[in-house]
Amino acid sequence: MTMEHNQENDPLAQRVLERIKDERLVPRPRWEFIAKNYFFWVLGALAAVLGALSFSATLFELQNLQNIDWRLSVATHPNFFSFFLAAAPLLWLVALVLASLWVYLNVRHTKYGYRYSLIVLALGAVLTSLVLGSVLYAVGVGGPIEESIGDRSPFYRPILAKERSWWSAPTQGLLGGQVVSVSSSTASFVLRDFNGQVWNVADGDLYSFDAARVIPGAVVRMVGVPTTTTTTMFHACFVFSWENQRRFFDEASSPHPLVFASTSQRTLHSATSTGMCTGIRPYQQLQSIDHAGL
Amino acid sequence: MTDEEAVRQALADKDIFSVLIERYETKLMRYLTRLGVSLQEDREDLLQNAFIKAYKNLNSFDQTLTFSSWIYRITHNEAMSFFRARRARPQVILDKEGQSLITELRDEESDSTNLSELRLSHEHIERAFSQLTPQERDVLTLRFFEDRSYAEMSDILQVPTGTVSTLLYRAKRALRAVLPESLSS
Repeated sequence: MTMEHNQENDPLAQRVLERIKDERLVPRPRWEFIAKNYFFWVLGALAAVLGALSFSATLFELQNLQNIDWRLSVATHPNFFSFFLAAAPLLWLVALVLASLWVYLNVRHTKYGYRYSLIVLALGAVLTSLVLGSVLYAVGVGGPIEESIGDRSPFYRPILAKERSWWSAPTQGLLGGQVVSVSSSTASFVLRDFNGQVWNVADGDLYSFDAARVIPGAVVRMVGVPTTTTTTMFHACFVFSWENQRRFFDEASSPHPLVFASTSQRTLHSATSTGMCTGIRPYQQLQSIDHAGL
Repeated sequence: MTDEEAVRQALADKDIFSVLIERYETKLMRYLTRLGVSLQEDREDLLQNAFIKAYKNLNSFDQTLTFSSWIYRITHNEAMSFFRARRARPQVILDKEGQSLITELRDEESDSTNLSELRLSHEHIERAFSQLTPQERDVLTLRFFEDRSYAEMSDILQVPTGTVSTLLYRAKRALRAVLPESLSS
């Protein structure tokens, strides 16, 4: 049986071979296919690393998020859902999902990628990112990633910047910053906010518990009477330590300072109350929480 | 000479490639007919393109697969591209070998179709096949007319074996849905 004989008897074989000869077709070199296969594996691995970096940054944010006192969200946000959206590390979680999708698409294009189901590949990609991300977080990569890459993203603000912005809204009765000096004779103190603006804060309506936190050099956050945009005067109703409040789990066993602030058993810092703090948020909510016995 | 040996030799001598063409031409021509490529000249063009692609990509042939699955995969891809380009209803021509499909449909019948009371012939299946999507025809053809295993279908269709099961289930359901219409026409 000769090849010539086969071709003569088989018009299709003849046509195919003629076309191969006429168009001078040659098999593509083997290295091209090997390189293509490796290319998709490398891209897949790269995506897994990006997913891991995202997860390490997520862990870093969650670590910081632990320190945010969610109970104060009644003062800073209209509801808990909006607080969650603002505080959750959504950018990194979205990046993790996109990286996992990228892993899937690349592995799917490798030689045997089609044999793996979507669930297996997606779970594999996510688990790889989670495990590798946890290792990166443990060696301290999460923080630098969160601060360096996050800072360059137009959709992202580091958690500390977010938190500071929540307490830089005097027109909503929220102000934070460092106490510069305290004057007991005028029942006021001077505070420099996170943007460098100097404020004169009236503290006559503070209870002793709150007033004890107002010491020069201390970083505090306050809930007070909403101001206008032109003034630099602020009337404080509650004062919370910036740092102490960030250790939520350490203080979980002791009563929350806000609850203290709303009870009637405390004594006013100054002799008389102006009554300006009555009805300001989150006073009402906190009173109801207090009455519910929580 | 095995297929794999023929591939190795064809890389050095293109004339050897005709051995593979001769071995698979008839099978693949029948496969295309079952898929609904009704015109002889279309089948020949598709097959010619499939073999040219196979030759150009001969170095990507994976020896862990069978050449049969590989050439079916290429032909399948050509056929799907053909159906995407032409939206006309296909004229499917099946042969007597589809009895296993009729038997399976009767075994798995649902009350709504009650196929056991109907006398199914392969002509009915042909008419019903014409109303299926190319992908549905493809999985049914590979399974019941080409007698391919799930693993082979996975390699040909380039989907996980679990997806093959799903596609097969959906294709049978679709066929069962159009069969009464086929029987009444």
